[in-house]
Amino acid sequence: MDESKDVPKDFIKLKSEKLSVDEVSELVISPYCGAVSLFIGTTRNNFEGKKVIHLEYEAYTSMAETEIKKICRDVRQKWPSVKHIAVHHRLGVVPITEASVIIAVSSPHRAESLEAVMYCINTLKASVPIWKKEIYEDEYSWKENKECFWANSEK
Amino acid sequence: FSSGRRRHREPAAEGCPPGDGGSMRCQQVSVLYFARSAELAGLRSETLSVPRQITSLQLWEEIVKVHPRLAVIRDQVVFAVQQEYVLLGDQLLVLQPGDEVAIIPPISGG
Repeated sequence: MDESKDVPKDFIKLKSEKLSVDEVSELVISPYCGAVSLFIGTTRNNFEGKKVIHLEYEAYTSMAETEIKKICRDVRQKWPSVKHIAVHHRLGVVPITEASVIIAVSSPHRAESLEAVMYCINTLKASVPIWKKEIYEDEYSWKENKECFWANSEK
Repeated sequence: FSSGRRRHREPAAEGCPPGDGGSMRCQQVSVLYFARSAELAGLRSETLSVPRQITSLQLWEEIVKVHPRLAVIRDQVVFAVQQEYVLLGDQLLVLQPGDEVAIIPPISGG
C-alpha cells in the first residue's frame, strides 16, 4: 500500500450554483480513511418571528479563499491525521432549505474529522469575509455572526 | 505645435491633504466596498489617492470624506489591507501603489 499517492488535499469553492452533498463528500473520500464527517448549513424560514423569503450571500472572494486555506492549514496542525478537507460555500440567492455551506473532512478514525468539521464551521463564521442578507417580506437585514470579533452585538 | 495649447496643472489628488511632499506623498489604492458599506457608498470599488503613510483611522476618515454616508458604520467595520484585517485605530499603514483596501462590515458567512 502506498499512501504517499493519496496526498492530503484542500478543496475550496465559492459558487452561485446549488451545492451538492454527494459531490463534496466524494471529494474527501480516501481508501486510507474510515471516517468522513460532514456539516451542512441550510437556510431557515424564520428569524425572530419574521418570515424569511430567502438568503443572499456575497463575498470578498479572493480573501475568503485565502482565509479558508488558513483554516485548513490550522486543521492539519491541530489534527495531523486529517486527510482531505472540502469547503463549499454558495454565493448569491439561497432558497429556504437549500445548503449555503457544506464542509467535509476525512480521517482514519472518526474523532479527528468530527472535531475538525466543527472547528472549520466555527472559524469560518469568525474570520471569512462572506456576508449574508436575510430577505423578509417587507424588509431585509445584513446579518452579523456573534463570532465576528469586531462586531458590536447589542444584545 | 498649437499656439493655443493650454498649460494645465495636475489637480490635487482627491483625498490627499495639501502639504509637504515628503511622507505625505500620495498613493493610488484600490478601495473595495462590501455588503452594507457598498449600499451606503453606492459603489463596489474605486481608486482613491491617499497618503502613503497613514493610520487606519486616518484612512477611514479620508474615505468618509468621499462617502459621508459611511460614517454611520464606523464602529462596526474593519479594513482588510492586502487581505489582512486591520482595526480602525492607530496602526500605521505603509501603502504601495495599487494596494487593495477593503471595507469589511461584520461578517456573516456559513
